[in-house]
Amino acid sequence: MPNDLQVFVPAPDRPAPLDSTGVVGWIRKNLFQDIPNTLMTILGAYILFVVVGAVLNWAIFNAVWSANSRRECLDAVGRSGACWPGVFVWFENLIYGLYPKDQVWRINVGFLALVLWMVPLWMPRVVSKVAIGLSAVALYPLLASYFFLGGDKGIIWTALIAAGLTGLIWVWATALSETFKGKTIGVLVVDSLGQADADEARQRLTRRLATLAVFIVACLIISSLSFVEVRTRFWGGLFLTLVISGIGITFSLPAGIMLALGRRSNLPVIAMFSTLFIELFRSVPLVTILFMFNTMLPLFMPAGTEVNQLLRAIVAVCLFAAAYMAEIIRGGLQAIPKGQYEAADALGLTYWQTTSQVVLPQALKIMIPAIVGNFIGLFKDTTLVSIIGLFDLMNMARAIGEDTNWLGLFIEPFFVVSMIYFVFCFAMSSYSIGLEKKLAAGRDR
Amino acid sequence: MTKPGRMIEIVKLNKWFGQFHVLKDVSLSVREGEKFIICGPSGSGKSTLIRCINQLETHQEGSIVVDGVEVDPKGRNHREVRSRIGMVFQNFNLFPHLSVLDNCTLTPRLGLEMPKAEAEEIAMTHLSRVGIAEQALKYPLQLSGGQQQRVAIARALCVKPKIMLFDEPTSALDPEMIKEVLDVMVELAEGGMTMICVTHEMGFARQVADKVIFMDQGEIVETNEPNAFFSNPRFDRSADFLSHIL
Repeated sequence: MPNDLQVFVPAPDRPAPLDSTGVVGWIRKNLFQDIPNTLMTILGAYILFVVVGAVLNWAIFNAVWSANSRRECLDAVGRSGACWPGVFVWFENLIYGLYPKDQVWRINVGFLALVLWMVPLWMPRVVSKVAIGLSAVALYPLLASYFFLGGDKGIIWTALIAAGLTGLIWVWATALSETFKGKTIGVLVVDSLGQADADEARQRLTRRLATLAVFIVACLIISSLSFVEVRTRFWGGLFLTLVISGIGITFSLPAGIMLALGRRSNLPVIAMFSTLFIELFRSVPLVTILFMFNTMLPLFMPAGTEVNQLLRAIVAVCLFAAAYMAEIIRGGLQAIPKGQYEAADALGLTYWQTTSQVVLPQALKIMIPAIVGNFIGLFKDTTLVSIIGLFDLMNMARAIGEDTNWLGLFIEPFFVVSMIYFVFCFAMSSYSIGLEKKLAAGRDR
Repeated sequence: MTKPGRMIEIVKLNKWFGQFHVLKDVSLSVREGEKFIICGPSGSGKSTLIRCINQLETHQEGSIVVDGVEVDPKGRNHREVRSRIGMVFQNFNLFPHLSVLDNCTLTPRLGLEMPKAEAEEIAMTHLSRVGIAEQALKYPLQLSGGQQQRVAIARALCVKPKIMLFDEPTSALDPEMIKEVLDVMVELAEGGMTMICVTHEMGFARQVADKVIFMDQGEIVETNEPNAFFSNPRFDRSADFLSHIL
């Protein structure tokens, strides 16, 4: 290299100007940049003050907190304050519907089981998260349905419920083993029985026997329980809303994936069936589908068979949600470049390997906002089941205003119900944003 | 059946896209360890030809025999054919949601049902060979184009192919990165791999190629030794093409 070449030295970085960073910089830049901006800020602050003030006055400062009827409330403050006692009296019904009061603990335990099932998904050292999630979808409903429904159970039913309980035990055994020992529960069991060096077949047998032992214990526990039957017509309130939307949400994702793949399939029969299904259920309002299933389905069933009304509503919601989800997923599938399929093909992967390992993980990740948006929509759409006479959260709120003591009390219950809806929807939304950030971390440009 | 030592035997291959006749009576024979460079103007059918070999495109007439296996255009033995062939694309086509290492181990683990540890060991061997071992846990989009293409080569090698196909592997790269990819390809060629490479990197062609194929309008115009082809093309069409790219 010749010696007379000049050496290039990049200029050092200088700090950014002070007034463009930090809190003060942000306020100056965004709120008080120039005169119109300052005026808008003041106007906005004023509107916020008026609205929030009015709501607080109505909901808290002028509200009546104890009374025996709506008349007493009206005599005390008129319409300038909320009348909360009506909501308090009915609150338990808003949450549990007409479920017998001495059995309500079963609902609580049932949902506690769901929470327990989900907690390991947030534990940082747990690696088997996919398996835990799948087990929640496949096994939790078995356990929950017995807690919620109760009644007689034959041998098969007992075994299924016990499978649910086994699932929960497995989830926590896995979570604890992976958190504290850093190995999967299967490996831990094999190691602690001194079979770490045994061959693969023998280890597999040991794992199966251990699972069987837990299952038998679960069977014994379940068969010692006996819950009175609570028929679904007593279900209601937030509980019913969660049951319908929970099943709808859980069903819609896998069903939507299958329909979306089906619609893009090369096999004409499958493609046609999927397209027909999607277009049919997407083109009809949910209310109509609910009516159809509620009134017409029994006509097509053989005489004497009776399909539970709640079940009819759930099936209707599931099919509707699956059709919508299918189109969202299809959008995600279309965003995957052709090169990804070609690379997978060229590597010799099969259709299902390509779909499950290459295409879906990417498609679902892009579609998280849309998918969760759909979940939120579905959660709120379940209010429509009130039309066929189910007492979901919304219908229960309406019932308060029809109680003779609280005649005409509609605003307060609806206010509370919207708060409940907001809490759930906002939680879903925040979770999806968190999930997006987590999945995007370190993988994007 | 092929004669011993014949890796790829293509006879009178014809393909149409709708009414458009992309490949016209293409015949080609590649022996084990030979390196073929395919060049030609865009739209001449170069990519389509090599994509037919591993059946990313299906052909309508003629026959392709890969390592003794007759390729079925209806797709009944795609996986058998593809397990013998590694392919590298112009746009890398790495899986962005998987780490570099997982990109390499995906097929061995799923397709060949190899235990994870063994698959990772093989993957690391190939990643070190292309000089990316220390980036194994990064994700593809965190790497430069040249590094991504080298990962793509390593990924293809993990399937233990007997033949490597390259579809314009350096066309999407910045000039500074072309060399690092070509170096890997030269090393691969020197290791005795059978290679068919669509490229306009003529320096590379001179260095490694046994044969240069010039295609135009869906036909093989000229097949020649690289030095003869570059210094003394037989057809006016080849000479015209060379005058534009050299």
